[in-house]
Amino acid sequence: MGLISKLLRKNTSPARIAGFALSNFIGLLIIGGAVMFYVDSRGIWDDDESVINTDYLVVNKKVTSASTLGDGGATRFSAADLADLKAQPWVRRVGEFSSSDFRVYASVSQGGRGLETALFFESVPDSFVDLPAADWRFEPGQPVVPVMIPKDYLALYNFGFAGSAGLPQLSEQLISGIPLKLYMRSEDGSRSMQMEGRIAGFSNRLNTVLVPDGFMQYANSRLGDSGSSAPSRLIIDVSSPGDVAISEYLSSHGWEVAGDKSGSSAAYLLKVVVGIVMAVGAVITLLSLFVLMLSVSLLMEKNRQVIHRLLMLGAPLRKVGAPYCSMIVVGCGAAWLLSVGALVALRSLYAGALEGLGVGTGGLMWGIGVGTLLALGVVLVNIVAVGRKIKSAWGLRISDAG
Amino acid sequence: MIPDHIEEIELQGLLPRVFAREELPYSEVWRRTVVFRRGGRYLVESASGGGKSSLAAFIMGARRDYEGRLLFDGRDASSLGITDWQEIRRARIAYLPQELALFPELSAIDNILLKGEICGGVDMQRVEGWMERLGITARRDYPAGRLSIGQQQRVALIRSLCQPFDFILLDEPVSHLDEANNRLAAGIVEEEAGRQGAAVITFSVGNPLLIENPVKMNL
Repeated sequence: MGLISKLLRKNTSPARIAGFALSNFIGLLIIGGAVMFYVDSRGIWDDDESVINTDYLVVNKKVTSASTLGDGGATRFSAADLADLKAQPWVRRVGEFSSSDFRVYASVSQGGRGLETALFFESVPDSFVDLPAADWRFEPGQPVVPVMIPKDYLALYNFGFAGSAGLPQLSEQLISGIPLKLYMRSEDGSRSMQMEGRIAGFSNRLNTVLVPDGFMQYANSRLGDSGSSAPSRLIIDVSSPGDVAISEYLSSHGWEVAGDKSGSSAAYLLKVVVGIVMAVGAVITLLSLFVLMLSVSLLMEKNRQVIHRLLMLGAPLRKVGAPYCSMIVVGCGAAWLLSVGALVALRSLYAGALEGLGVGTGGLMWGIGVGTLLALGVVLVNIVAVGRKIKSAWGLRISDAG
Repeated sequence: MIPDHIEEIELQGLLPRVFAREELPYSEVWRRTVVFRRGGRYLVESASGGGKSSLAAFIMGARRDYEGRLLFDGRDASSLGITDWQEIRRARIAYLPQELALFPELSAIDNILLKGEICGGVDMQRVEGWMERLGITARRDYPAGRLSIGQQQRVALIRSLCQPFDFILLDEPVSHLDEANNRLAAGIVEEEAGRQGAAVITFSVGNPLLIENPVKMNL
């Protein structure tokens, strides 16, 4: 070690550097660990639903005995309901379900054996359906109507009906390729039309048979009797699916959410928890950054006269800063290495459990990556601070003379 | 970029800002045009508080609180950056401050070797010779802080000579030396400045370094 660094390292407190390394290690570990766990476990919570965003809620009014006896108006959403709903802060947009105002019969024939059922259609604004526009569109004159059915219907058929009726089980791909014959007629039977349907997708979240909005309007105008009626179901795009305000609002109005939303609530909860943990980690990292800055700056302040004298002898700034920079790099490097080791160890703790769930890769890389960026940031900020401190020791002070 | 040598240091109406509002006593330096030429010998005499340390700090780039202009070969010193100044300090202008600025925890010889670390090596033979002549060889390995002021002054003087320079600024270099040691020190300074073709600028408040035929000026 040269005489210069020997002088500049005077008053170094290893305990302070170790204290920094420890706190920086804890900060990096917490942030890296949170990122790692979030990335690894995201797959568990994320619904495999791809056609309807999981952040959408489908709500309806509870069906009571009173509404059965009435005309069904009690379960419809009034304009006032809608306006009030749209005013809620957690609502991004609201789509109304339109239902078919005509009879629908669908039949599938396969190898001479047929299956026929009465059906119904509903539609939501096309912007709520995450399918390519080319797959989910209807123009009058188009021969084939895209239809979306709940995944449960297929399961019902495959595991409930097909076996007992001696029919073959169908995969999603297979059924998507089978043409569906649709026969629609008006209530009084005076108007009818026949079309072909094609299964364009399966949904876990929409418990209905969905057709494009354009088709619904077209068919209702040709076969429907009455004008438009108020919707009985709504699809809501919410900003935070797990927000308690949402469930409070819905239950206070006696409304129900269709489908299982536990996945999205859990994912939301996970995000919140990870967010809190990361905030804690960020605070600790920030504090450790200040601990390091403070200790280095205190050390340099103590050695200010030495620094000033070395500068007066013409020592290059780089050479004067080097011992402090290497201190910073060693401290951060140690914290970083420790945190990488700890992340690897942490991951091996839960890796077994995650692999059982069939998800989770790449979390470690993300955790280490974020930790590395933070460590580099800490190094950079401190090196800049060292440079400023050296420049401040350039000028004379009364205490420097003598 | 600083040229290989500085030939002239010129003061144009230079004045420490703290003096600006005061009634200035007669001065041959402040507010005048003064040129120090490479190879020359100068003795700047002043009363205490005359600002000689300020002048040294201005020339060394440690302070900029002056009015007027300071020029190195016509280049305004205020246009110099940090790396320029460090280059000047390493290889153009040597400086022995009045407070010596030794590192007390380092030995006498390490103080000198440190200079070599910064300026690219010292000629040990020459250094040993100077120490011998100034009578501090026995104190070679003592921490500088434990030497007497007179001994420290001699160590600091040798250190200031251990670099390439076109000018050497000596701020009261012999204030704690007797006349015999003063003459020895002056001889060494003359020798090294002569070898390097450099100017000697020495400041004094009454006990000047005894160099031969300096241009005298009152601060």
